[in-house]
Amino acid sequence: MIIHPELRALRGDDAPQRDAQTGLYRAVAAWKSKAEFQKVSAELDLLNAGEDLANCDALSAIFTQNSAAARELCTTFVTQGAAALGSAPLGHIPLRHSTDGCTSTLLLGRSGRVTLSLVALDGIEMTRRPRPKNVSFGPNETWEFFLAGTGVAELVSCTPSGPRSAVLERREIPIRAGTLLARHGQRESRLLRDLGTTLVSLRLQRRSVHNEPTREYDLSSGELVHQAAGNPRDSRIELMMAMLGRMRRSDAAPAMAGIALGEGSTALRWQALRECLALDTLEGFQALSRVAAATGDPLAAPAGALRAQLVEMHPQLQELAPCLA
Amino acid sequence: MNLPNIDLSSLPGLDTVTGMFGSMLDTSGDVWSDDTIIVLMTFLYDLIPPGGML
Repeated sequence: MIIHPELRALRGDDAPQRDAQTGLYRAVAAWKSKAEFQKVSAELDLLNAGEDLANCDALSAIFTQNSAAARELCTTFVTQGAAALGSAPLGHIPLRHSTDGCTSTLLLGRSGRVTLSLVALDGIEMTRRPRPKNVSFGPNETWEFFLAGTGVAELVSCTPSGPRSAVLERREIPIRAGTLLARHGQRESRLLRDLGTTLVSLRLQRRSVHNEPTREYDLSSGELVHQAAGNPRDSRIELMMAMLGRMRRSDAAPAMAGIALGEGSTALRWQALRECLALDTLEGFQALSRVAAATGDPLAAPAGALRAQLVEMHPQLQELAPCLA
Repeated sequence: MNLPNIDLSSLPGLDTVTGMFGSMLDTSGDVWSDDTIIVLMTFLYDLIPPGGML
């Protein structure tokens, strides 16, 4: 195994690396403590609480066509961060980051369902990748301010035409430093191509508080090809219910019935009904009967059908909660 | 009352299945255009302390 001498030295004495990390923590903390970022950070909280972007002075100044504020905020960050990394090349900037060789992101700030990220796309790497066949529409709002680079954005608008199809309309706009793209994720998505070299943007995104799923459509036909939970909470609860179900924890059945009768997404509520029925027939069947009887509930029809099917298979269930059905 | 045990696999799903948060089929494009995309990562931890076997 070949280990670089600098890394080998760190295995015996990690003090230089700890010092380097301390330097990077300080550099980022110093930038975050500046008044400009403090204002932005406070407004991320406001946006998370539901405020309109237009009522957030600092953020709306940043996310405006040809904004100078965005460039100022990022230039300070990049200058200080690059200087700190220059003296500690093995260090990590203490911010959440990711890269797949084409797209790199750095999370500059976050408040609940709102994120502020610096994003860089490698245009050369992008040309090596297949063009997307599908396009996704998620329950969020996104504002992208392009700081450097050029490219073409293909904006795809989505108008559902049935439960499993949508009319997708495409239009192209050129991107250059100073361009702002703002969109509602469920109505519009964007694809990028023909990037010059590296395209850098500052991205603000707010996830919806509602329970709509993210929908992925085939670009050429508009056919729905995949659907995913629109928020991490639903998936977390679903996984917890699956585990409790496999553990045969029937004491969890009342909580599952509560979820089935609650305000969550239809996918989560249906999964709660299934797990509840499998754990505790009485609790599950009562919840199923209540959902089936709820006027206007999108699950009323499938719940009614499942209830009828279960009663046919197990006639004794008819005696349970007859007044609710 | 003697109630039947219901097998989970016998209970139907909804017409349109909903995947986990962050899942998607086509990851060929700029998937990071959305903060709601999740990619599973594998981490390798060095369990041998410095000055150990290597």
